[in-house]
Amino acid sequence: MAPLPGSCYLPARAPAAPRPEPTMSFPIDRIRNFSIIAHIDHGKSTLADRILDVTGAITQREQKEQLLDRMELEQERGITIKAQGVRLPFVAEDGVEYQLNLIDTPGHVDFSYEVSRSLAACEGALLVVDATQGVEAQTLANVYLALENDLEIIPVFNKIDLPSADVDRVKREVEEVIGLDVPEPILACSGKTGEGVKEVLEEIVKRVPPPRTAPEGKLRALIFDSWYDTYRGAMSMIRVVDGTVRKGDKIKMMSTGAEYEVTELGVYSPFPTHVDHLGPGEVGFFAGSIKSIEDTKVGDTVTLVHDRAEEPLAGFQEVKPMVFCGVFPTDSDQYGDLRDALEKLNLNDAAFFFEPETSDALGFGFRCGFLGLLHMEIIQERLEREYGIDLITTAPSVVYHVFLTDGSMVEVENPSRMPEIGEIDRIEEPYFAVSIHVPSEFVGPVIKLCQERRGEQTNMSYSSTDRVVISYDLPLAEVLFDFFDKLKSATKGYASMDYELKGYRANKLVRLDMLINGEKVDALSAIVHRDNAYHIGRSLAQKLKGIVPRQQYEVAIQAAIGSKIIARETVRALRKDVTAKCYGGDISRKRKLLQKQKEGKRRMKAVGSVDIPQAAFHAILKVDS
Amino acid sequence: MRDTSVYVHFPWCAKKCPYCDFATRKIDVATLPHEAYADALLRELEVRRGALRGRRLTSVFFGGGTPSLWSGAALGRVLAAIRGAFEEESEALEITAESNPNSLTRARAAAFAEAGVGRLSLGVQSLDDARLRFLGRLHDRTEALTALGHAAAAVERVSADLMFGMPGQSADDLAREIDQLLEAGVRHVSAYALTIEPGTQFGELHRLGKLRVAEEEAYAQMFERAERAFEAAGFAHYEVSNYAQPGEEARHNLHYWRGGDYLGLGAAAVGCLSEADGGARRWKNTVDAGRYMEALGEEESETLGPQDRIREGLMLGLRMAEGVDGAALSARAGVDWRRGREAALARRLERGDVVLEGERLRVPRERWLLLDGIVADLF
Repeated sequence: MAPLPGSCYLPARAPAAPRPEPTMSFPIDRIRNFSIIAHIDHGKSTLADRILDVTGAITQREQKEQLLDRMELEQERGITIKAQGVRLPFVAEDGVEYQLNLIDTPGHVDFSYEVSRSLAACEGALLVVDATQGVEAQTLANVYLALENDLEIIPVFNKIDLPSADVDRVKREVEEVIGLDVPEPILACSGKTGEGVKEVLEEIVKRVPPPRTAPEGKLRALIFDSWYDTYRGAMSMIRVVDGTVRKGDKIKMMSTGAEYEVTELGVYSPFPTHVDHLGPGEVGFFAGSIKSIEDTKVGDTVTLVHDRAEEPLAGFQEVKPMVFCGVFPTDSDQYGDLRDALEKLNLNDAAFFFEPETSDALGFGFRCGFLGLLHMEIIQERLEREYGIDLITTAPSVVYHVFLTDGSMVEVENPSRMPEIGEIDRIEEPYFAVSIHVPSEFVGPVIKLCQERRGEQTNMSYSSTDRVVISYDLPLAEVLFDFFDKLKSATKGYASMDYELKGYRANKLVRLDMLINGEKVDALSAIVHRDNAYHIGRSLAQKLKGIVPRQQYEVAIQAAIGSKIIARETVRALRKDVTAKCYGGDISRKRKLLQKQKEGKRRMKAVGSVDIPQAAFHAILKVDS
Repeated sequence: MRDTSVYVHFPWCAKKCPYCDFATRKIDVATLPHEAYADALLRELEVRRGALRGRRLTSVFFGGGTPSLWSGAALGRVLAAIRGAFEEESEALEITAESNPNSLTRARAAAFAEAGVGRLSLGVQSLDDARLRFLGRLHDRTEALTALGHAAAAVERVSADLMFGMPGQSADDLAREIDQLLEAGVRHVSAYALTIEPGTQFGELHRLGKLRVAEEEAYAQMFERAERAFEAAGFAHYEVSNYAQPGEEARHNLHYWRGGDYLGLGAAAVGCLSEADGGARRWKNTVDAGRYMEALGEEESETLGPQDRIREGLMLGLRMAEGVDGAALSARAGVDWRRGREAALARRLERGDVVLEGERLRVPRERWLLLDGIVADLF
């Protein structure tokens, strides 16, 4: 994930005039690479801004309020999707100038691989905890990622300007829940007022170790972020681990073997500045006329063509989409626009997958794959907001492994493409290992919810006297079906959760079809567990009855498994929809009423002669187990 | 010369009906400012005279409120001034006054006729005493029939309003009322489904669950039954809620539905006049009658762009059996009305919800009960 060309917070001007750089590398013992780990809303971006202020990196308030969040969407959701690195010169109390590299990390579990690579580029992390709230599961997951990467973790208690801040309580929580020592001095600060921020930077200098490098080692640089620039092609943020990379070097991507020439090398401080080399421990960006970010994969190792390192850096993975859905233009004339928009988004987001799909009900569109639900929502919102395309999307689906009677296996990520029952030997579905952190009073409701969702409890432990970590293995499909909202409402918003993929398991799964006026609507098909199929079918038919607006004719809604109808509901015909009086004094008001009605109908798709609203395609998500 | 009609609002009633959301206030009839209101209307006419240049007067409608409370002399003074303000008037100039059965005396009907009114529209609403009480009307069945007699004696053209869709009313009940009304000699009937409007007494009762309304199916059946009853009597269903003998259509209302320009005079009156660029300006006068008489003034005003005009043209025109003249609509708005509506139009044509005959688009009568959804789709 990377910003769109032009939507970057950095001024859209060309890189600033190169500033003279010493030909020697910056002394490695004066480099500190760190990131910030924080839960959504705990003030990461504000604190990052303040750090830029304190180091003098930003002299004018020309930047947006939250400098590190580049995209409008990210700002709205209060999360950072993008990893990026900013170089900050900092003269510490000891009078020595240090080079701090702040590496920002995405804040959502959908992007946990990217987080892990950003963390791998650091030696330390600020663990920012809202002093008015406490530790959340998400934070915990990232702390564990940081510990796996051997990072020095510095707890920082933020928002002390608020009257409800309680540093002592939250400090205890960090010690009890995370099991992390909070040594003196306790770092309490306010990203809003700037109080305590200087002290935080001093502690970074003292406690975060300088980068380690193999002396005289061959070049190995870790790519921790990539994006696409219209003029310069794929660009990457790198952290040099060993050796030095210079402008003009012939480089090689160790995962693909592809070779390029470094045409541009620079750092963000925070405005882009060209440099002619990056030495061990340093962080910066490079471009090399690389056509696609497929070739600059996050986690890959960059080395030199003529002086190749033996081993790549550890931890590289190919990211694979986990969640799929159909994306169709409401207006079929927008198919071409949609394809262009998907291609553009794909330029910047290698984790996002799409291919053409044809639905009997929805016409021509695309099957898209995402890392998770948030990733899916972001892409859908961007398509609508930035590209102005009205979409009809189908309910998200996972990838099923369908083993056929002939012994072969097919991956099915579209329920309507499920082979016929007779051809199937067994179906396996992906499972998540889910950890839910919750105050002990909510244990009951959480367990009930997980059981209803075909969960299997694997562990339950008290992380403190009143906080519990409940671990379940849950089918991913169940997590997609409104699990977060249900969890939130079952725990009054106190639960937080973390998850990771935990393999595939065979289950008794069947395809549930929905018929409207006797015709199967492929976009409404879903894969469900056989034991729940009747219940879900009935419940879905009822939901659809409430969603499908009444039409001129009676509409029959049926649920079926194979050729067997298991539920039927009827939407009564609309009999009266006409304004009785319309004269000179009523015209404006009536026109506005109809205009509003038209707006409401914009997102409908005519399936046969029945208008079906977008909500119908997501109704399955709202069916109670 | 651009055909233009004039609407004059008379903002008072002897009693406010529980279903009515029109701009009207209850007043002690003895204190009605007959002449002062006429004076204010003449002042407004003077102010707006400039906008009437190049226009031909096609109809005048005195609505309300209850214009039959007004003195014939005052109404006559206003009517004469309106006719004097136009350079031309149509040969078929239609002048209508709304009246309530209990205030339309024989003398008042004669005075209105004397002043130039050629058409009286009576708020009969029902010929069933129980339903009249339910509707909060001041008259009963006998008074309604008497008033219809006065009207027919005074003017050529008499129209009656009839409401249906009251709780407990059956299609047969309605058909009987229609037959009785037609026997009384009316040539035009506006038959409205009772509509619960927010902000009215009925609206409030309905919100509180204390007012039952007819089921949708019952409405539909009454609507269809009314159509059969009228057609059997030789009345054409020429607009969703209007029936007329041949040639007896309300020309003033046809003018609205065909997208014509209209001048509004009086408190809370709405006017809408085309401007040179294909757009139009619509305004609403000061609603409070006291303030209106003191200082005139507009309460609100809006500029209609080409798309607004097309939407309104469709919304109003498709209410009529004759439909919309697409060529005239495009000419009025200055853009092709079909542009941007191709998909919706194709869909609705395919479903038989609209019919396109040459340039004329109409909704077949059997789809009128679903008109709003069809029109909204074409918006």
